[in-house]
Amino acid sequence: MFVLLLLQNAIADVLNSSEWVFPITECFHITAFAWSIGLIALVDFRLLGVGMKRETTPQIAKAVAPWTLLGLAVVLLSGPVLFLSDPRMYLYNPSFRFKIGALLIAIVFNYTIHRKVALSDSASAGVRVLVGVVSLALWISVVFGGLFIAFA
Amino acid sequence: MTGFFTALRGSAYVYPIVLSMHMIGLAFFGGMVLMTDMRLLGLTMRKRSVAEVVDLFRIPKRWGLLLIVTCGILLAGSKAEEYYYNAFFRTKLILLGAVLVHELVFRRGVYANPAALDRTPTVPASAKLAAALSLLLWTSIACCGRGIGYIEPPLDKIHAEIHLVQDAALAALRGPNLLKGEDH
Repeated sequence: MFVLLLLQNAIADVLNSSEWVFPITECFHITAFAWSIGLIALVDFRLLGVGMKRETTPQIAKAVAPWTLLGLAVVLLSGPVLFLSDPRMYLYNPSFRFKIGALLIAIVFNYTIHRKVALSDSASAGVRVLVGVVSLALWISVVFGGLFIAFA
Repeated sequence: MTGFFTALRGSAYVYPIVLSMHMIGLAFFGGMVLMTDMRLLGLTMRKRSVAEVVDLFRIPKRWGLLLIVTCGILLAGSKAEEYYYNAFFRTKLILLGAVLVHELVFRRGVYANPAALDRTPTVPASAKLAAALSLLLWTSIACCGRGIGYIEPPLDKIHAEIHLVQDAALAALRGPNLLKGEDH
């Protein structure tokens, strides 16, 4: 436990050694979250039947899937770097806890139910709308939680 | 109008909520911009024509932009003076101006007429340039936007300095008259 604590301080020291590490990592985090959540929302809006009627949902979902994954990968790599710069502050921050909870649910939802419905040609309209709304709500919660870390 | 922005500023939660919505708009708009530009660069969705991809993302992109701009105006209006002195905010405005120029230069040839880009075997260099510049500009704008939060202009100090200058100017104007007044 003590070793862990030392290690964590050592990592934080490295990350805080330059005032640029945090903001630059944040820029990657922001650009990548725009990419991934934007593309997930695109599929959600198609599920809801808002726009893009010339393409089917599976077509859109398949086309954007690798890029969503890439965006999520960058988000999930840059996020822990931000976290490790001041772990104790984040751990006790209620917005951060909310965000991580919502993020875990959102990722699991995205790669299970959301993917299944988005790639299916036979899902009923009700299911499609429900899945689209839940997905949007989850990802919006993640963004709100992330932003409120600085305010709460 | 000022009263509305003052109310926005005064509420503890309205500002972060509008900021969160600004970020959601950014996520949506940013995602669409990235995909459009990456397709022009030939890096994504290559099985689909440029026209298909550009058309697919066009309308969602506009909705995202509408949300970002609306929230952005609310945010800027609620902290107008702080932002006026904020170097990142000024840089962001200049970059947004550059985006307008980019739009004027490339809109007709690239984004509004993507079908023409499919007629040649590879995407023309001008379209690739447009895409690269667009990615660079929007990423910089997002980063400047984040940067705004790192600076808190010392308004009290700035106000004190403004008052000093004003007082000096007034003294210079009135000075001789006052002295005359005292003489008599």
